[in-house]
Parts: sequence; structure tokens; C-alpha cells
Amino acid sequence: MSGVVPAMAVGRVAHSRVTLLLAGATAAGVVLVALAGPLLATGSPTAPVGLPFDAPSGAHPAGTDAVGRDVLSRLLHGGRAVVLLAVGATALASLCGALLGVFAGLIDRRIGELVVRVVDVVAVVPGLLVLLVLAAGFPGSDSAVLVGVALVSLPFSVRVVRAATRQVAVRGFVDTARARGDSRWRIIRHDLVPNIAGTMLAEAGIRFSAAVHLTATAGFLGLGAGPPTPNWGRMVSENASGIGLTIWPVLLPALLLVLFTVSVNLLADDLAARWADR
Amino acid sequence: MSLLRVAALVARRTTAAVLVLAVLSVLIFTVTEVLPGDAVGVIAGADATVSEREQLRRELGLDAHPVRRYADWAAAALRGDLGTGYVGRREVTEVLVDRLPNSLLLTTLAMALAVPLAVAIGLVAGMRAGRRTDRLVSTATLVAVGVPEFLVAALLVAVFAAGLGLLPEVSLVPLGGRPWDQPEILVLPVAALSVAALAAAARLLRASVAEIAAAPYVEAARLRGVTGLRLAVRHVLPNAVAPAVQVTAVMFAGLIGGAVVVETLFNYPGIGYELQQAVANRDVPMVQGLALATCATALVLLLIGDLAQLALSPAVRGRP
Repeated sequence: MSGVVPAMAVGRVAHSRVTLLLAGATAAGVVLVALAGPLLATGSPTAPVGLPFDAPSGAHPAGTDAVGRDVLSRLLHGGRAVVLLAVGATALASLCGALLGVFAGLIDRRIGELVVRVVDVVAVVPGLLVLLVLAAGFPGSDSAVLVGVALVSLPFSVRVVRAATRQVAVRGFVDTARARGDSRWRIIRHDLVPNIAGTMLAEAGIRFSAAVHLTATAGFLGLGAGPPTPNWGRMVSENASGIGLTIWPVLLPALLLVLFTVSVNLLADDLAARWADR
Repeated sequence: MSLLRVAALVARRTTAAVLVLAVLSVLIFTVTEVLPGDAVGVIAGADATVSEREQLRRELGLDAHPVRRYADWAAAALRGDLGTGYVGRREVTEVLVDRLPNSLLLTTLAMALAVPLAVAIGLVAGMRAGRRTDRLVSTATLVAVGVPEFLVAALLVAVFAAGLGLLPEVSLVPLGGRPWDQPEILVLPVAALSVAALAAAARLLRASVAEIAAAPYVEAARLRGVTGLRLAVRHVLPNAVAPAVQVTAVMFAGLIGGAVVVETLFNYPGIGYELQQAVANRDVPMVQGLALATCATALVLLLIGDLAQLALSPAVRGRP
């Protein structure tokens, strides 16, 4: 099953300062809306307040959705799930990937390859299928989405960390430290981690952009915490039928997700390109 | 390389794929039926009585030991019987046979659109690596890869269906009918599905072309005065094709995920739509069967890609 996981740096490009500044500001803005939104919202995100698919008005600046709920309140509440699940899944995958990758990189080459083979079993499954199967076993569970997204990311993390570890391990100073009688744990902390931290960070960036993509899609497909919980991805599918009446309940969450995914991808791309150059 | 070694290699890769599928079948079964513990509670609902639950448990055969249940399920699957779905008592195999042609049509059309365009874009950008065209293409494809498929699809619907009224919003197929009887319902799903695949493949091809374009032999050809299209097509492309074939297989496997989204959004009667519906309806046997079949399809595609790359690339062929 070679080539399932492409190399991290393939086709990555550094971007201009203006692009990066714009992308950074956009991503930060969307995260702010997602995390601080529930504090700013005045109305309830789940209570029906009017007719379905009402046009924007003074009381409801973004109109109402398919069951007459306030779109603005749902927007302000609906980003938390997407952002936090993506962050959580990336953190989980990066942590497990780092542990497994360092382990697989430092020990015997054959056992290391075995570890990669085992996690690669997941890599042949289309990512969305992993989420769907988990959601079938654990319906309505956000944790299942988090674990699923982390599982999809894990093979990439393990491979990249293992490759970086092996590159560092063949340089002289690891052998020197070993000869000095340093413990394995000390070697990992003092000699290995500082040298692979950049690669791990760049890899986490790419994994995060993929995680945002997947969590948004999971919301759209109705996986994770069920209705009436607001979720930007699910708002698109919930309100798609009313697109001829009012476009806002679909357009606004879609716009936020597009801004977020594009800016995060640009930042991750740049991060990876810069680290690949070193 | 002798024929015997080729045969041994093919056999080894195939065995590996079968083993992976076996492991995946255990994982699918465990996650959907064993780990949740109470599949009956999910099906019967919260207000079912204890005796109702017990009866349902026996009817569904859920009172047996999990290992026994897996063995029965796997043995039946090998005979081509994937069980019966809870919803509408439809046989999983029948659903598969009925929906597979629709999904294959959608993905094949998306590939037919994406691959030639990806080759052209990858070639143009890769031959101009680092220049303005390349930067433009790299950024545009990055955006297209990053935006989730359902948003691309929703945008297409908003513009071409709701806005201009040119094409249908949903791809409804009458009972017993086939999507190819009304080609207009295929346009938007195919377009939505090809965008991400096209962008992803163009990026990988661009990287591959850029690497080969920097090789000494290409420089030598350039010095001999070979330029432009001739240089790209005659000198660079042949060596970029082997990795590209595998990319295509990986991309096709990736399309399976995208198809779930696009089929759901357009109500297109394919495997992905059925799978999403089965998950929403908590129809465990249907999820298990469709997921297993999808994994098998992905594995076959990756295997074909692996072997095709082997056949096309002299460098890889030489390795044992």
C-alpha cells in the first residue's frame, strides 16, 4: 500500500506577506466569532421565533431558518463545534502521532515499518467513511467525530514524525549522547524533539486544515451532536431547501466556512513550505 | 524482470490488500455493533419494554457472542450475502447492485472531466515552476482543495439551479429509472465532484512535473533547442506519467468520500447517498455492508494504481 500517504512538502508554496496577513486576520476573525459568538448572541439559537425562511428584518438581522429560528443566533453558536472539534482532533492526532512516530523512528527499522503498516490500514479508507462508520455506532456523538477525524489524521502524523526522527537519529549527536550513557528519554527530550519540532508544527498545520474540512463536512452530513444543536455545516443542509425563498441561512454559514478553510489552508501551506526549505 | 517475479509481486500485493480488508471488516463490525453495546436500544427506541427488547434481540440474533456474530456475518459476506437492512427490509446486496452503477457513472464522469484538465494544468504550472502562472495556479488549486465539497456543490446549486434556473436542484431518478436517461441531472453533481479532485490531482502533477523539469536531461534537451509544448509533452510528461497514474487511483478512491457528500446534497441515488441515509436511520446491517463494499472498492483501486505504477515506471520495476 505504498503511496497512500503523500509526502508532506509536495507542492507546498510560500505565499506573499500580504496574503498571509489577510489569511491570518481572516482565520483569527472566524475563530473569534466561533468562540466568543455564544457570549455575544442575545437570542436563543434553538427556539422558533417566527415563520420559516423569513427575510432579514430589524428583529432578526439575518432572517429565520427552516423552522423559524433566528439565523444570527444560530450563526453565533454554530461555529464552536467546528473549531473546537478540529482543534481537539488535531491535538489528539499530533500527540498520538508524535508518540508513535518517535517510537517507530528510534527502534528497530522492521518494527517501525510494522507500526506504519498498522496505522496505514486506516489510511486506505476514505476519511469520510471512517466518520460515517463511527457515527453509525455512536449516533449523535461529537466525541465520535473528534476521534474519527483524529484517526484519519494519524497515519500522516506517524509517517512524517517517523521520517523526521530517522533523519535526526542518523546524525552524529544522537550516537554521541548514547555513548555518553544518556537515557533514551533524555535523548528524546534534548536531542530529538528540538530538531523535529518544526516539522511536527508544520505537519499539525496541514492536519488542522484537513480536520476543519472534515468536521465541517461531518456537520453537513448530520454527524455529531444532533439537532437542534446549531452547527455551520449542518445549517447548510438544513436550509438548502429554502434557498429559493431566502439565501441567508445557507449563504452566511457557507461564507464563514469558506473563509475559514481557505485562510487556514493558505497558512498551513506556507508553514509547510517554509519548514520544508530548511 | 522475469514473469515469475511479476506474478509473485502481484500475488503479494493482492494478499496484502485482502488482509487489510479482513482487518477493516473486523473494525467495521466492532465499531458499529460490538462497542456501542446496546444496538437494540437504538433500534427499539427509548420507550420499548424489556420483553420487547429481548424479543428484538433474539430476532436480530444479537444475543449470540460477538465473535460468533462476526464469524457468521463474515462467512455470509464471503458468499455474497450482506444481510438485510432494518429499514424497509431491503437486502444489502440488492441495494449495492442497484446503486453501484449510478455511483460508478458519477465518479467516472467526474474523473473523465478532472484527469485531462489536471494533466494540462499540472503541466503548464510545473513547466513554469516559481513563475507567475505557477503561483496563480498553486493558489487557485489550494483554495479549491481547501473548500469542502458540499460548499462547492451548494454554490453551484445557488447559481445554476436556484439563480439561473438552468439545471435541476436535485437529481431525482424515478423508480426503476437510471440517471443516464436524463443527463441534465448529472451536470451539477459531476461538476461539484470534479472540482476538488481536479485541484488535488493538478497539485500533485505540478509537483511531479516541476521536479522532472529540473532534471539534467531536460536541461540538455533545452540546450539542444527543444522548447515549449514539445519539451513538455515529449520529454517531461512520459516520466511524470507513472506517478500520475497512481495519483489517479488515489484520487478515484478519494472521490468515494466526495461522492457521499455530493450524492447526499443532490439526493442522487448512489452508494454514498444510501450510506448517509443508513447512518441517519441507524440501519446497522446496511452501514456495515455498504462500508465494507466501499472499502473493498477503494482497496481494488489502490491495488490497480500500485500495479499500474509498477508496470509503467522502469525505476520502480527494477526494485524487488
